[in-house]
Amino acid sequence: MTRLLRSPAGACAMLALAWFVLVPLLRVPPLILPSLPAILRDAFSVWPALLAGFLITMLETVLGFLLGAGLGFGAGAAFAYAGWLERAMLPLFVASQTVPVIAFGAIVVIWFGNTLFAKIMIAFYLTFLPVTVATIRGLQSCDPERLDLMRGFGSSAWQRFVKLALPSAAPVIMVGLKIGIALSLIGAIVGEWFGATVGLGVMLLQSLYFEQTARVWVLIIACGGMGATLTGAISLTGRRFIWWRPG
Amino acid sequence: MKMLISILPACGAIVVLLVLWQMAISFFGVPDYILPGPTAIADSMGHSWRMLGSSLVVTVEEALLGFFVGAVIAIFLAILMVLAPAIEVASLPIVVALNSVPPVAFVPLALIWFGLGIWSKIGIAALSVNLVVLLNTLGGLKTPDSAAVDLLRSYGAGRFGVLWRLRLPAAMPALVTGLRIGLPRSTIAVIVAEMLGAYTGIGQIIYQSTAQVDYLTVWAAIFVAVVASLVLYGILVAIDRKLVWWS
Repeated sequence: MTRLLRSPAGACAMLALAWFVLVPLLRVPPLILPSLPAILRDAFSVWPALLAGFLITMLETVLGFLLGAGLGFGAGAAFAYAGWLERAMLPLFVASQTVPVIAFGAIVVIWFGNTLFAKIMIAFYLTFLPVTVATIRGLQSCDPERLDLMRGFGSSAWQRFVKLALPSAAPVIMVGLKIGIALSLIGAIVGEWFGATVGLGVMLLQSLYFEQTARVWVLIIACGGMGATLTGAISLTGRRFIWWRPG
Repeated sequence: MKMLISILPACGAIVVLLVLWQMAISFFGVPDYILPGPTAIADSMGHSWRMLGSSLVVTVEEALLGFFVGAVIAIFLAILMVLAPAIEVASLPIVVALNSVPPVAFVPLALIWFGLGIWSKIGIAALSVNLVVLLNTLGGLKTPDSAAVDLLRSYGAGRFGVLWRLRLPAAMPALVTGLRIGLPRSTIAVIVAEMLGAYTGIGQIIYQSTAQVDYLTVWAAIFVAVVASLVLYGILVAIDRKLVWWS
């Protein structure tokens, strides 16, 4: 039972059921929480825009994530093996993330124009740090005795990296990737607030201006669905490559 | 003293970065609307420090209040869930579903529910802090193995005894990690919410200055926000060291 509830699909089904039954039963005002059929009707009435927005936002999220994960991994690996670089640069990286990146949104749009690329850059910027930090942690957590053993057998630095450090870092890096994809989605959504015309973020902004509570919920569910799908996809890929560990 | 030495490389990197930035701006003659130099930004901060200062106070207040409310509710819920597993099973679907939705998607809803004042920001900050602290604390409270629990039971400890003497201390590192992740999230959530609708605050200044094509003020506001988040983060790290002195 608990297992079922912990799986996102089971959890969503339970929640939808509770929503469907409780909202009419308790007479919750629609401004606070519309009933589930009302939300489904609203979603159905705008489905072409919703689908287009979903796909665009997903594209921005995925591209930003891939870029951020790639560079984050590279930077993490460099930091893990060059201590002075980490001491000088990592605090800068951390500081860069405490900046409400979102505040840059407007400036990023000025730099790159009102294009897909501007949103990808914001998503990239948010993904970057968690992956970097996870890669550093993961690579540094490698057991020194095993490293010595491999050294004793005459392995090259590259072999030690690929055959030992990387596999032992993989579970930690996976955690970083999961945080990264969630942040990437936030970046894509907020990036669309600065003058985009298609996307879930744009629709979210419009529904706020017109105070369409049902539409806001449609979009919350759509964003949640995308978040769960992308995280699930990463978990599945992870399980394929990190078969020796559950999760 | 040790602390000073440990942040020295980072300070050096920041100074080098600022000097390089200024030199590049003057050398290439980059216009202000693309990227102003640090001196121009400092100048703009000097001009509008009164407005920036009063907005910063509001933003920090909202972020801290949201952080406290979210963290306290999260810790309370986590303890409740450990004491009464039935509550955990019943509320897990909500937590799992909420967790997959990016917090920014709830911003329009918070503004519709709580209006443009400080409560919508506190609400959204509390929500974004709450989930991460809750999941971390819950995981932490469950770390002690059953042998340790049995040992305490055999000495006559009740549920609360086990909680107070074993589970809470064991949960401290995870809880602190949750808080550390939560604080920047609450700042970002507040600024994002302010951008979409507020009377004052750093986010609102950024939004208005963007609309007025006053990019120097945008940069000044970003700078103020960065410094404030760094200070908050530093304070939190210092508190962490006191709370989890044994690690």
